[in-house]
Amino acid sequence: MNDKPPRPRAFRLDDHRVAVDDAPAPLAPMATIMTQRDPIPLDVVEREVEAAQSAGVAKRRRLSLGAIAWIGLGGLLSLTVGLWIDSLIEALFARAASLGAIASVFAVLLVAGALGLLTREFVAVSRQRRIAELHAALARARADDDRDAARALVARLAALYLHRPETARARAEVEEARRAVVDGRDLVDVAERALLLPIDRKVQAEIAAAARRVSMVTALSPRAILDLLFVAAQVVRLTRRVAELYGGRPGLFGFFALLRSIGAHLAITGGMAVGDSLLQQVVGHGVASRISARLGEGVLNGLLTARVGLSAMAVCRPAPFEVDRPPGVADVAPFLFRKGKGE
Amino acid sequence: MSLFRDLAFEAGVVARSLSDYVNGGALRLGVTGLSRAGKTVFITALVDNLVNGGRLPVLRAAAEGRVARVHLEPQPDDAVPRFPYEEHVAAISGPERRWPVSTRRVSQLRVTIEFERVGAWGGARAQSLNLDIVDYPGEWLLDLALLDKSYAEWSRETIAAARAKSRAPVAAVWNSFVASLDPAAPADEATAVKGSELFAAYLRQARDTTYALSTLPPGRFLSPGDLEGSPALTFAPLPLDDSAPIAHGSLAAMMERRYEAYKTHVARPFFRDHFARLDRQIVLVDLLTALNSGPAALSDLETALDGVMHAFRAGRASRLGAIFRPRISRVLFAATKADHLHHADHDRLEAALKLMTSRAIARAEGFGAEIDVVALAAVRATREAEIRHGGEILPAIVGTPEAGERIDGQIFDGAAEAAVFPGRLPDDPAAALAGDALALPEADNAWRFIRFRPPVTARGAPPPHIRLDRALQFLIGDRLA
Repeated sequence: MNDKPPRPRAFRLDDHRVAVDDAPAPLAPMATIMTQRDPIPLDVVEREVEAAQSAGVAKRRRLSLGAIAWIGLGGLLSLTVGLWIDSLIEALFARAASLGAIASVFAVLLVAGALGLLTREFVAVSRQRRIAELHAALARARADDDRDAARALVARLAALYLHRPETARARAEVEEARRAVVDGRDLVDVAERALLLPIDRKVQAEIAAAARRVSMVTALSPRAILDLLFVAAQVVRLTRRVAELYGGRPGLFGFFALLRSIGAHLAITGGMAVGDSLLQQVVGHGVASRISARLGEGVLNGLLTARVGLSAMAVCRPAPFEVDRPPGVADVAPFLFRKGKGE
Repeated sequence: MSLFRDLAFEAGVVARSLSDYVNGGALRLGVTGLSRAGKTVFITALVDNLVNGGRLPVLRAAAEGRVARVHLEPQPDDAVPRFPYEEHVAAISGPERRWPVSTRRVSQLRVTIEFERVGAWGGARAQSLNLDIVDYPGEWLLDLALLDKSYAEWSRETIAAARAKSRAPVAAVWNSFVASLDPAAPADEATAVKGSELFAAYLRQARDTTYALSTLPPGRFLSPGDLEGSPALTFAPLPLDDSAPIAHGSLAAMMERRYEAYKTHVARPFFRDHFARLDRQIVLVDLLTALNSGPAALSDLETALDGVMHAFRAGRASRLGAIFRPRISRVLFAATKADHLHHADHDRLEAALKLMTSRAIARAEGFGAEIDVVALAAVRATREAEIRHGGEILPAIVGTPEAGERIDGQIFDGAAEAAVFPGRLPDDPAAALAGDALALPEADNAWRFIRFRPPVTARGAPPPHIRLDRALQFLIGDRLA
């Protein structure tokens, strides 16, 4: 019945009948005024990272036709293996009871081990997903300046590093900020600065070391296939290391999901990251290759390793880059850009 | 005669474009807006945010950290005063917290943006972009609509407009005077002076915030600059008889000559020097004052904007054209003072602006220029809140209303902060344009927008803004890519 739009009106904040935010107010205020926080839109870099995460680590799996087929096949294969083991044990019992008993013990060990592995994989995948979700939630809380959400999320972030003695001080700092009256946005920043910046430095050192090793081995190795294998091994090692440093524990499947996210991130950013570009990297390669073809390949492989490492860093990090800008290739591997001398 | 004048005008434009090109091409940003649209504040905030590193997350080059340094440089035109940027900043962020006084003369500023881009062959390449910005009294912009009009046309239109029902209360004195004039009478200076004075008085009153009319050329009658009292400003429209030619030596002949002199010596040079060679343009529109006044003020604003946009050359610039005939390749229509309403209403404000400028947009699009519409506040004077009152939850803004502003029976003293619910804009913008009411009393409008004082800002930091960075990204972002 009241279809008329509300009339324009105004309330003076110094009016004693008006309650403003948390300030002391009369018992039955004429009007209550609650200040709102303005949202800051998420920036491009952050959206890219989240898109990459949702392509891999944070992917919610639905039952597709392919998955159903795989489940069927997997079940049949397990049954085959079970049948085979069963007949093996029976055959052994038929030959000698002691052999059968030993085989049974082995079978139990096999099942227990497999179950353990499966559980660990499951935990690893869900942990990696939780980190990606935490990342997105922290970005939202920061953008909306949501204090309550930030408090809860920051506690989860600190909990990721409970088993690292070297983060004790940072965790205490975050806990203190959590109890103090700090805005949501600032709280997220405090946590990022205290907890993640030291880890960032370690991660960057890892990336630099990997890039250095790759470029050196490529430059020295006698066969192309050898350095290909070496690069692959280094990328795998680096990715695991980065994920572990940030609190993830990628097992086998978690690692595959991580690789998918890294691939997606490389594709989305198109080899471009803030402050550097693939073009620049390839030209760096060009300068080096004029000096020596092997050296040039070394530099190129080193650059690619560094790019993969940076993408892994962006995808594994449990919070968005806000305090500091995300590092570029030139930050982690400046030695690759030194003209002429190479290493 | 007219052909010769057009040729000379074109030659002047080409000569200036050429000299610009030779002297290192700067990007000329045209800040267009009628008076009180907020041109001076927009320019000041733009420069302040760029120079002092304000938060501009949407401007890509700034967000990516590629902008190395922004500084002011001596402007290219030695004959034009410098835009007193520091004074305006001091006025806004100083202890007085007041808006800059209305602009009375042309001034210019050159901003140099040093940034880095990834070169085509790799490596970071340092570059710089010169941005030339001109500030001027918005009233003068109305003269652009006169450039294509003869005295007879202008007289007819102006007198018809003054006799319209909505304008009748403002124009009463002027209308009765015009009725007593005989265009064929011999020229008489006293009559001309009286006529122009009454005409100017009528224009000034119509511009007042109560009426908030916009189509009020000639602009120098409102803001004469240094021409006050000169013959070029001593004329008025006359009720001409269309059938008879203007007799030699009559009052009409004298008025016509002065009108043409005004066009030649005032309107045309202003356009040639400052608007004929723009690369980018932002059209600032103060919708809120017109909304306060009523539908007639809005449609009047629409007419004024269309007349102004008619004069500009928009379209994609070609390589050769960039030297001889620069064209405006991007036009941004901006509804200013978006901080006077809650952000939930910004979309409606943009829709209203889109509707109001649809003619101008169609014109610019026809030439191939890129168009965008945005609601912005160059200096954000308010913060947002919600009011819970009598079972309603109202989206509101909190700020310090200017002294003397009134809403809902309250009169503000310019010191107290207040939470203001300015009403809701209609979902359908056409609803705001329906009717021909003018100078509506507060009770007849579903909204009431009041002015706020500038915000309290931290020392040295640029004041907050709304979507200034988005506007910049649209206007100059491609040149910083």
